[in-house]
Amino acid sequence: MRRLDLWLVLAVLFIAAASFLAQSSTAQALERPTLAYRQMVWLLVAVGMMVVVGMLDYRVIARFWPPLYAGSLLVLAITLLVAPLRAGTRSWLVFGTFTVQPSEFARVVVLVALAAVAATHQQGLLSTRKSLELVALAAVPMGLVLLQPDLGVALSFLPALAAVFWLGGLRLRVWLLLAVVAVATSVLVFFALLKPYQKERILTFLEPERAPYTAGYQQRQAKIAVGSGGLTGKGLKSGTQSQLRFLPAQGTDFIFAVWAEETGFVGSLSLLFAYGLLLFRIFYAGLLARDRLGLLLCGGVGAVLGAQVLVNIGMNLGLAPTTGITLPLLSYGGSSTLATGLALGLVQSVWRLRFANL
Amino acid sequence: MTYVRDDLRPVQRRLGVLLLLILLALGVLAARLWVLQVLQHPQWRKLAESNRLRRVPLEAPRGTVTDIHGEILLDNRPAFQLLIFPEEMKDLRETAEFLASIGIGPVAEVENRLRKAQRTSYLPSVIADNLTFAQVAAIAAHRAEHKELEVHPTTRRRVPLGPVVAHVVGQLGEVTPEQWAGNPRLRPGQLVGRSGLERAYQDILGGEQGNVVVVVDALGRQVSTLDEEKPVPGKPLTVTLDLSLQREAAAALGAQVGAVVALEPRSGAVRVLLSQPAFEPDLFAGHLEPKKWRELVSDPLHPLNNRALQALYPPGSTIKPLYAAAALASGVRTPSQWVTCTGAVTIYGHPYRCWLKGGHGPVALEEAIEVSCDTYFYYLARDAGIERLASWARLFGLGSPTGIELPGEVGGLVPDDAWSRRVRNQPWYAGETISVGIGQGPILVTPLQLAVAYAAFVNGGFLVTPHLVEGQGKPPRPVELPAEALAAARRGMERVVLGSRGTARRLRALPVGVAGKTGTAQVIRKKEGVTWRELPWEQRHHALFVGYGPVDNPVLVVAVVVEHGGDAASVAAPVAGRILAKALGVPSEVAAQLLVAEVSLPEATAAGGGEGP
Repeated sequence: MRRLDLWLVLAVLFIAAASFLAQSSTAQALERPTLAYRQMVWLLVAVGMMVVVGMLDYRVIARFWPPLYAGSLLVLAITLLVAPLRAGTRSWLVFGTFTVQPSEFARVVVLVALAAVAATHQQGLLSTRKSLELVALAAVPMGLVLLQPDLGVALSFLPALAAVFWLGGLRLRVWLLLAVVAVATSVLVFFALLKPYQKERILTFLEPERAPYTAGYQQRQAKIAVGSGGLTGKGLKSGTQSQLRFLPAQGTDFIFAVWAEETGFVGSLSLLFAYGLLLFRIFYAGLLARDRLGLLLCGGVGAVLGAQVLVNIGMNLGLAPTTGITLPLLSYGGSSTLATGLALGLVQSVWRLRFANL
Repeated sequence: MTYVRDDLRPVQRRLGVLLLLILLALGVLAARLWVLQVLQHPQWRKLAESNRLRRVPLEAPRGTVTDIHGEILLDNRPAFQLLIFPEEMKDLRETAEFLASIGIGPVAEVENRLRKAQRTSYLPSVIADNLTFAQVAAIAAHRAEHKELEVHPTTRRRVPLGPVVAHVVGQLGEVTPEQWAGNPRLRPGQLVGRSGLERAYQDILGGEQGNVVVVVDALGRQVSTLDEEKPVPGKPLTVTLDLSLQREAAAALGAQVGAVVALEPRSGAVRVLLSQPAFEPDLFAGHLEPKKWRELVSDPLHPLNNRALQALYPPGSTIKPLYAAAALASGVRTPSQWVTCTGAVTIYGHPYRCWLKGGHGPVALEEAIEVSCDTYFYYLARDAGIERLASWARLFGLGSPTGIELPGEVGGLVPDDAWSRRVRNQPWYAGETISVGIGQGPILVTPLQLAVAYAAFVNGGFLVTPHLVEGQGKPPRPVELPAEALAAARRGMERVVLGSRGTARRLRALPVGVAGKTGTAQVIRKKEGVTWRELPWEQRHHALFVGYGPVDNPVLVVAVVVEHGGDAASVAAPVAGRILAKALGVPSEVAAQLLVAEVSLPEATAAGGGEGP
């Protein structure tokens, strides 16, 4: 235990505390008092998972990537078949009062698989063949998630792949190939796969005055919440934007705006600092990792969480389009919180074993 | 399986770059936070306030208007109106469709109103009023989807007498952007007086809107009230009208097109102001449907026009007493100077005919008024010339607005050489002077101007300012004609009723002495040997009568114009007679006989080509 990274634990605890306070505010606004306590339970479990996984050996976990990966695909496939339709997607498995979002966990498994496969290549740049293997590893579960359809979560797999490519190193011609494929895919996705409301969101982001009362409405309300918070905020549970429910999806996508409105620049900058600390410790663990696998794992986790933090907060501040990507640990949601705990556990394991000569 | 220890340094370098990039991006987010929360804070705070705070106008009930006897001319009844908060509207089309589905109006029209509301900033606007209970219920049931809509209890104007007083009361209309921009007491969508008394006394009747600031949640539900400013109701107003006379005038005029004005001659207090055809004032009590509006505007009879002060008519023979008095005063005529009327006369080489084919024989001034001899006035006009005729008409206030409080009054036209050169770009044609001498040709007056001019004969020679509210208007000013001159014309007008050849002899049926002058204004040149009853309506002459009573101490002057009435004596004079009878306490059975009278010949037109070739 004492060999875990306490700075990282400290950052997690700060974010968890902020999450509880912000969720309490949201719970009051939505008149659902249990929400904050449920989130607190998830956070505690997530911290527990981080510690437990941290005590394991990441190399052993990585060795078991094929069955983990296969299991994930299976669960995603089952989800597609049995999940009820909610808010237009089949993303959640329902067990009585519990719901689980398998894609959140699948993302961690994919991350492990990518790191494990990329780590077998030890010298120089990644070969073209290896690169294609990695693309395939990420593409299959992403495809299953896209079928749900949950574009936001599917896209959130990409940072892991990108990180592994970046860290493993690619030949120029593969980078070029990937760029062409990426552009082609996004054009195809935009015109063929996106729902009109999703297109509208992207266009609205590019041109905010496009539709002030429809797609831009949520983001506008979020910006009003953040901006009206001022230097020191309106006080906990006193944000007018959240309490009067002008802020949409305030427990999940726009929880940052709740926090920013009620604690002001001081509070939101502190939270930003906590995320900065968290990400720094993740990358630091990667820098000190004893092997390529550890480094790639940390880089992958850092890239995934970092992308989530940047996109979600960017969205709350009007810098990124509304995508439905949650803010790790702060947003309400058991699956996302626990998956984050698992990912951080991997980092802790890398940190704990950084000097181990095994 | 174990991993071979490899050289991690390049990978670590790339990891460091990634970390730097992420920290840099976090720095951008921090800068953005600084901008939003510190630099732009005031702006966002204002938006948050306008999100949750709503200023709901509390309409002030408008003032009640009563006549001199305390009878209600105009008051209020309860109603519901629909407000829109444009900032809340998500989809204009969708809102318009919803409103159309509950019967607020056609989609396109509702859309127009909504768009207009959007343009007038974040303040709420009135979209519809006079909602039915079913509409109120439908809006309440959909308030979650339509938080931009709010039903608001209010009041609506009620005009018990309806069309009879429509023009005096006037209309309400939505305040124009120019109006509310310049007046902090007005708000977009608010109704203000557009015409009539509603406009003239907007400041008194309108009161002051109040408002209440409420906190609402995102569903538009009112959470609490912050601050309330009570409306100040409009003040009541008493007008000089006598609604019993107004009703009598409407009844006497029946379905005829025209106008009636009755004044108290000494003060200029208006007792009757009627214009027909009229409209249902309730149409204008709220927001008028464009279809109804188009109907009213395109009606060839122009029901929206207040003929009493906005319509121009040739005065015809009703101008004769004015010229007569002025001619005496200026020495152009003496009381006993006579002219022999043979039924036709040639002046400047053109024939002019008197309305009486056989001629009146020798007539002097008073008799010329009694029989309305055209020949006498042809010569008088020739001897006076157009400049003097014009100045005489102006002495009695013709040619310029009387100054009544009601908006939209027109000034009429008193032609002279300067006018001809300015407007027609040609010098005055002397032959026209002869026509103007009998109130034909380009001279044009309003019924109200005629009433004011006649009041001067019976109030000691003063030009009064007609008014609807006691104490309004400029003080009377003297006409500057000697009393004997006015008295002579007055004697002529008494003979119109009492004389053996008087043109309004039928008014003798009244037990009180009344006097006045008939007038028939030519619309088109009449064909020889065709009686007016044989002509199509729109070609018949206008029938005029201006009179007063009782003769020794007149308390009321009445001017009547019946458009295309054909004959003044049988159509216009009885209307005036019935109003005078009512005002002077004559039993209604006696007065009612007046309209039963047979039709007589048309008189006082330049019958059969009076204006020359």
